[in-house]
Amino acid sequence: MKLVYGLAACFPIIVATAALTLGQTPNKAVESDAAATIAVMDHIWLDAAHNRDTGTMAWLFADDFVEIHPGGDIVDKKEQIDQIRDPSRTIAEIHPDDIDVRYVSSDVAVLLDTTTIRGLSGGVDYNGTQKVIRVFVKEQGRWRAAGAGIVPIKP
Amino acid sequence: MKCFQVTALAAMLMFAPLAFAQTGAGSSAAEEEELKKLDHKWLDAEKRLDIAYCEKFFADSYVLVFPNGQAYTKKQWLDILRGPDHPVITMLDPEDIKVHLHGNVAILTDHTTLKGHDSKGNSMDGEFNVFRVVIKKNGNWQATGVVMNAIAAKK
Repeated sequence: MKLVYGLAACFPIIVATAALTLGQTPNKAVESDAAATIAVMDHIWLDAAHNRDTGTMAWLFADDFVEIHPGGDIVDKKEQIDQIRDPSRTIAEIHPDDIDVRYVSSDVAVLLDTTTIRGLSGGVDYNGTQKVIRVFVKEQGRWRAAGAGIVPIKP
Repeated sequence: MKCFQVTALAAMLMFAPLAFAQTGAGSSAAEEEELKKLDHKWLDAEKRLDIAYCEKFFADSYVLVFPNGQAYTKKQWLDILRGPDHPVITMLDPEDIKVHLHGNVAILTDHTTLKGHDSKGNSMDGEFNVFRVVIKKNGNWQATGVVMNAIAAKK
């Protein structure tokens, strides 16, 4: 009978230890691959914007996504997706160049890129190149876009 | 009775680590307040040309993007602040700070009022919506990116 009590006491401890392990930061070994992954995610993000693929954007954006547009407008996830969906807004071209992953860890990446845009959105003419900081976070095992700050490069 | 006591103890052991693993709403609110204070402290340090603080607070990956799209690394920006041609800032106040917290990274958006002039006396006065990225390393928050967006006059 004592053995049964002993086993009963040990089982939850094993479960508890597993819970602690799940709460730990992922191994640093995965960081070396993260930069390459993030560069690909940058392209996926802008391709989705170009193709008005709001499903991919909803999948990619974190729930607390935030973006500052040229002109200073601040939009959340829903507002950004609604703008992409809006047929009165045009995006003839959008692509990133010079992707510079400034910081990467197992669950955070910050990059700087030069994004070329030809289009019109919210009454703001986006034709030209923009300097952009983009932030990615790993949530529930996958990378998601957390936000972007965009400013036009003046000649 | 003994069986009940063992089960109760086991249940307590099982749930305690789960509580450690999660981010509580209370700690999140406290962290948001800490980050808002940090935003003020950061801009105050830049206004006072407190290079020692900036040197410590800016991550090596720090990049600052001005409203004209010009980007400066940590070294480039600190060299300007400590050099003879540093700007003279009389007001650098962030308002309406919003914190978007994602574990070890936070995006802050704020409305910053800047008053001052460059080394040649040209006015730098303006209103900006600013995208700030801070990362937590070894328990301390560090700035890693800033995009300043001049607020366009509403049409």
